[in-house]
Amino acid sequence: MEFFSFGNIIVYIDKFIKFINSIFFVILIIGISFALIISPVDYLQGDSVRIMYVHVPSAWIGLSIFSLIAVSTILNFIFKIKNLFLLIKSLAPIGLLFTCLSIVTGSIWGKPTWGTWWAWDARLTSMLVLMLFYVLFIISLKYFKNNENLTKILSILSILGIINIPIIKYSVEWWSTLHQPASIKFLGTSSIHPSMLIPLFLMLLVLLLYCALIFLMKYKTEIIKIKKQNIKRL
Amino acid sequence: MIIEFLKMGGYGFYVWLSFLIVFTFCSLLFYKTRKTLKKYEKEFAKELDKLPAEHKKRIAKSSKVISSILASKNKLS
Repeated sequence: MEFFSFGNIIVYIDKFIKFINSIFFVILIIGISFALIISPVDYLQGDSVRIMYVHVPSAWIGLSIFSLIAVSTILNFIFKIKNLFLLIKSLAPIGLLFTCLSIVTGSIWGKPTWGTWWAWDARLTSMLVLMLFYVLFIISLKYFKNNENLTKILSILSILGIINIPIIKYSVEWWSTLHQPASIKFLGTSSIHPSMLIPLFLMLLVLLLYCALIFLMKYKTEIIKIKKQNIKRL
Repeated sequence: MIIEFLKMGGYGFYVWLSFLIVFTFCSLLFYKTRKTLKKYEKEFAKELDKLPAEHKKRIAKSSKVISSILASKNKLS
């Protein structure tokens, strides 16, 4: 448990921030070059397919962060682990940003593909619901100072929000939607060519590194806030 | 050739707008997060400066958090 002390964590945070800073721009340039220049044009959608390289990773990140937050909130409710609470607080704004980006870039992609910016389609609506859960989460974190009440509210939001995750995932199969079914399957054969998969995973790596960087900076800020409150006791 | 690349087969507006939105908002969050971190590091260092020198030295030795903040403050100044 000593390993997870704030002292040890902050040392590793500094090391990780330095490491990410040293490789980030190289990977960003490679990712952007693949996404905008090297990857081929889609036979049906033309160059508009390049929007996929920011839209799909944003959606994956938005969904993954909410799942992580929901599990952490429930674990925090049961075991009262302070580090988990800081993790939730640091991750929520990142998840909200990527959910919003996925909705906005999806809407931009929708215009040339479907002929409309927005449709109350099952996938789009369930993503909008996810965004609302993020907003409620962040508002609760900001305005509820009582820890006991906050933990309860966050747990309720997590349980309700986690129900929405499989709805988002399977909405394209359960309902007739404008949104296409998943082209990338982790269990099974993907219907996307490697020449498009490589840029997609490179852009995912770029955005994951960015998320890690923001998360580490936010986590460090939270640790400093706690230490600042306790400075008199040192 | 550059014009063709920018036009993206007629989809340039949609493609560039998407990338621009992603990079603008990611940059905004990055700068806001970094600014908040620096602000708290500075405030914390100021609080530490108020402590007697001997006490400050002792806690900087015993607390990794404080020594890390003091190190980043020294880098800033």
